[in-house]
Formats: sequence, C-alpha cells, structure tokens
Amino acid sequence: MTKSKTLTGGALLFEVLQEHGVQHVFGYPGGAIMPIYDALYDSDVKHFLCRHEQGAAFSAVGYARAAGTVGVCLATSGPGATNLITGLADALADSIPVVAITGQVPTAAMGSDAFQEIDIFGLSLACTKHSFQVTDINELEKVLHQAFEIALEGRHGPVLVDIPKDVQLAEVTQRLDKLSHLKNKVKLPLADISKALDLLTHAKQPILYVGGGVGMANAVEEVRDFAEKTGMPSVSTLKGLGAINPDNENHLGMLGMHGTKAANLAVQESDLLVVVGARFDDRVTGKLDEFAPNAKVIHFDIDTAEINKRRDADAAILGDLKGNLPLLTTELNIADWQQKLKQMNTDFAWRYDHPGDNIFAPAVLKTVSDLMPSNTCVTTDVGQHQMWAAQHMTFDDPSNFLTSGGMGTMGFGLPAAIGAQISRPHDTVIAVSGDGSIMMNVQELATIKRYQIPVKVVLIDNAKLGMVRQWQDLFFDGRLSETDLSDNPDFVMLATAFDIKSKLITKKSEVKAAVEEMLDHDGPYLLQVKIDAAENVWPLVPPNTANDKMMESV
Amino acid sequence: MNSMTLNKYQLIIMADDKQVVLERILQVTRYRGFLINGMNAEVNTGNNVATITMSVSSERPISLLIDQINKLIDIKGVKVDNSDVQIKQHSA
Ligand SMILES: Cc1ncc(C[n+]2csc(CCOP(=O)(O)OP(=O)(O)O)c2C)c(N)n1
Ligand SMILES: [Mg+2]
Repeated sequence: MTKSKTLTGGALLFEVLQEHGVQHVFGYPGGAIMPIYDALYDSDVKHFLCRHEQGAAFSAVGYARAAGTVGVCLATSGPGATNLITGLADALADSIPVVAITGQVPTAAMGSDAFQEIDIFGLSLACTKHSFQVTDINELEKVLHQAFEIALEGRHGPVLVDIPKDVQLAEVTQRLDKLSHLKNKVKLPLADISKALDLLTHAKQPILYVGGGVGMANAVEEVRDFAEKTGMPSVSTLKGLGAINPDNENHLGMLGMHGTKAANLAVQESDLLVVVGARFDDRVTGKLDEFAPNAKVIHFDIDTAEINKRRDADAAILGDLKGNLPLLTTELNIADWQQKLKQMNTDFAWRYDHPGDNIFAPAVLKTVSDLMPSNTCVTTDVGQHQMWAAQHMTFDDPSNFLTSGGMGTMGFGLPAAIGAQISRPHDTVIAVSGDGSIMMNVQELATIKRYQIPVKVVLIDNAKLGMVRQWQDLFFDGRLSETDLSDNPDFVMLATAFDIKSKLITKKSEVKAAVEEMLDHDGPYLLQVKIDAAENVWPLVPPNTANDKMMESV
Repeated sequence: MNSMTLNKYQLIIMADDKQVVLERILQVTRYRGFLINGMNAEVNTGNNVATITMSVSSERPISLLIDQINKLIDIKGVKVDNSDVQIKQHSA
C-alpha cells in the first residue's frame, strides 16, 4: 500500500532527494530559496555552505565524479543562479550528472523584472542537458524524479530545476510513487560488431584510444580486460587517465597537445583506432585532417551525435560500452607493433634529472604520486600544473583524477576537492592548483575551515599565469601581457588565516620531507611549492599542427 | 568571400509539447551553425504534440543538426524533406 503525506514544496524536495540516495548537498541561501532552506532545517540531508555558488556547483561536480553518483547544488534566484552557470557549463562539457536547484521569484512576480529575478531557465538552455521551471506544485515531484533520471540517462549531464518561491511554499500530497520513466526511449540500433571484428582482425597497428566515457560507463574493468586480452597498445585522453591499469606495459600515456611523444607518434602511425568513450576533441587531435591519417576507426559511444561528428567512423557501436566492448575481444597478432611501441616508451620516458637547486614541478608531482596512498583522489585546476599532473602522476581509476577537461575552468580544483572529500571521507584527496587558479575560488578555504575538510592543496607557484605566459613566449614573441603574478598574496599567511596548516618550499632538497609531512597531517594542509617562472610544459603540439610535429623544447 | 556552398534543408520535427521546446530547438540550431530561413510551429496546443517545420541552411551536413536536435529530451523525431523519420535514439 502506498502511503501519502501532505507537505510543502520545499519539504517535498528533500523527500525526493533522499529517495534518490542524496545525503549531501552544496549551496548558498537567499530570499527566493528561503522556503527550501526552511525545509532543510528539518531534513536529514546534510548541507554544506559554500562561500560562492560557483564553489557549490564545483563541489557538486567533484562529489559526483569522485563517487559516481549525482551531485546536488542549491542557489537562490538572480545572482545566486547566475553564479552556478560556470559549474553547469563545466558539468555539461565533461558529462557530469548534477542536479541544480534554483529558487525563483514568486510566479506572480515572474516577468516583471522583480528584485533578483533573472531568466535562469532561459540561461540554462545552453549550459545544461535539460532544465525545468516548475510553476505548478503538482508537477514538482515528477519533475524532480525526471531531473535525476535525465542527469544519469545515456550520456550524463547537468539538469537545472527552477522553483518559484510560492511553489516551494505550496502544500502538496506526496504521491510516493516510483519514477515516472521518460518517454521517447528507443533501443539503440544494432551495432556494426561484425564490421568491427573484421577491421580488428586485419589491423596490424591498432591503438585503443581511451576517453572519459569509460569511467562514466562504469566499464573500467571491461576496458582493462580488453586491453590485457588483446594486448592492444593504448593511449588516454586527459579524462581517460586512470582507466587503463597503471601496470599495463602497452599503455603509452596521454595523447594530444601535451601528450607523450610515444602516444602521439603511435597514434599517427596506427592503422586502426578503437575509440572507447572519446570524441576526437581538438585538444586531442591537433590538426584534424592530419590526425591518425592512415587509421580506420571503430567508435564506441553512448551518444549518437558523437559518431561522425569530427571524424568518420568505419564501424560505429552505439550503446553501453560495458556490454559491447567484450564482444570485440579477440586475440591479435601484433607482437612487432607492441615491441616497437614498448621501445618508444623506453626511449621517450620522462626524465626528472633537472639541473640546479630549484624545484622541478614534474618531479614534485611524481613524488606526490609515488607517496600518496592507493585510491587517492587528485583534482587539478587549469594550466601548466594541470598538464604536469596529467603527465607525471599515476591514477588507479578515472574517478581518482578530477580535472576540468572540456571547459578547462580555472577555479575547479579546490571546490571539486571539497566535494570529492565529502563523498569519500576515508580517502586522501589532493588538489593540485596554481597560483592563478587558486585565487578563482579561494573563498572555499572558508568551507574547508568550517567543516575541517582534510583536503591537501599542492600549490604550484610560478608567480605567473604560466600556461598563458608559455604561449606568449612561444607564439606571441614573448610579449608578456597581463600574465605576471609576482605580487601574489602570501599563501602561507592566507592558509593560516583559515586555520589551515601550511608550508612553503623553494628547494629540491625540501620536497620529499614536505610531501610526507603533508600526507601525514590529519587535517587540511597547503603546500606552496615555489618553482621557476620560466618552466614550460613539454612536449607541446602547437595549435593547428599534426600531433607528430610536437615541440620538445625551445 | 566565403566560397563554401550553403545547402538548404527542410526539417519536420515532432516533439512532446513541453516547456520551451521551441526555444531549445532554436538555440541548438543556431549553436550548431545552421541559419534558419523560415519556420512554422504549432506548440502549446494542449494535446501534447508539437510540430515544427523549419527550413535551414548551412555548409555543414544536416546529420549533425539532426543528431543534436534528437538529443533534446522532448523530441520525438526529426524528418528531413520527404525521407523517413529518424527515430529518436536513446539508451535503453
Ligand atoms: C576561468 C578561466 N579563465 C581563464 C582561463 C585561461 N587560462 C588557462 S591556463 C591560465 C593560467 C593559469 O595560471 P595558474 O593557475 O597559475 O597555472 P599555471 O599555468 O601557472 O600552472 C589561464 C589564465 C581559464 N582556463 N579559465
Ligand atoms: Mg601559475
């Protein structure tokens, strides 16, 4: 027998959240969302007060990515809602399931330029997978269920639900019926499996090109199994890192603009790309016409619109990777190819012998990676430090490397780490940030302080917007326009102001002990690592250039 | 001057008659690089079926736009010219 009970829209929201297993939400209150915050007061859902709605959105993203569930954030109307937008755009670009709830002015005031009224529903069209505005309390329960279903269905993404204040206050009888399933669902067409098998058996130089879709399809095991059994050499995108077993000796690392030499050369020479959950992003392909020029393509994806979008597929296999990839597992006769690539892996291995006393960022990140416990979750901000983390750290699962891939959003790292730590209280969480990026959501240090969230921040400090400075040096005649940050705040003092233990290191000899101290510390910690401002990220494939024409130094 | 040729297409779109379905189609069409030359829309009909016919032009293949419109949650199907309706494809 189904029970029913009468409650306000605000209370109904938390009932439905709990039905979906939501225990934690991130948000910031304000006038048009007060009835929801009033209902929160009685709810078992735990709310984390972030110090900016963008922080709330990124914490929801970090939470979702680290735990493989839906992240939830709340904001008031007007500026609260617009402050969420960057986080939603980031979630859309990286296909992250997030449900954002915004308060809206009362329905009677809507469309009158009311105080703190913005058309967030209109604004959401370009930065969410789907959105709703609930003007009838009787629709609220169904819409909330649909929001969760849409966020997780097919290719994941963010969903926004805008709820006017009067709807939050209105009383309604909760139906307590289970999810009303989305209409319009049609089974995917039969895949080109036999075509793909044919391509595979004829390939002499195949490469497995692994993207972020693997983790999201929950297909890490299947992809590892496929890579092991076929022995196929593999490369990963930024978001695909962690999918391939770190011990796999046929893995060549990241491809693309800052990819390894071995990965990029191997892809350029390959005769078949087996693409799993990846989308030929421009940061991966370099000059598209010259990307893997001799390769046929088998493309596995959940999203029909990714097939033939940037590169035509010779065989397209739509649908659930977890079920589909094993169908292609077969033995391959590619010993020469494997041998050649293993040799490249050795010949082009990273080197950490760096002259002088100054700290070499790749070596620091390698040290952190070597010393951190297994199942550590690392987040990054955006810039050189992000690429060094991708190149020099090793991850045992895609959910252990959270970085803003599609959007490349500075300010992601700290709040994402907070969300990750809350979702996984027993794992170590490290945010690798830059001196520019950290300031973009620095207010979240207050969130760390309030909840004593034991995030470790490794701040790679070059006193520059380093990645932009690198491009100015390489491609704009060294005209360093607005990239100097030599007047940065005292980061140790800043951390201290938030009761966060911190330390500054400036010499190579200090690295190991400092990293150990940071990892051994129970609470939050900020390690400021001073590096040389002139260091560049290598290799680099210049813009609109084929991936085999990478620069390796100046 | 740009020498690429603009191709013209006529699309017939069927959708659940939900909130702002028309705005969603307009937004996706513009963003994906298609110019709208004209349209006729029957929306908010009360019977939950919206029908939109739209003529568009672009240098890009129409399949790109069809796939993206199909991805919108409320879309039932998109048809080009007189060819068969491309049924919405969603994961099971
Ligand atoms: C929100 C946002 N604004 C601007 C940029 C452009 N951008 C990319 S990297 C970068 C510099 C980042 O500096 P820092 O965080 O110090 O990292 P570094 O490159 O020095 O390691 C900038 C400005 C961006 N990615 N995101
Ligand atoms: Mg910097």
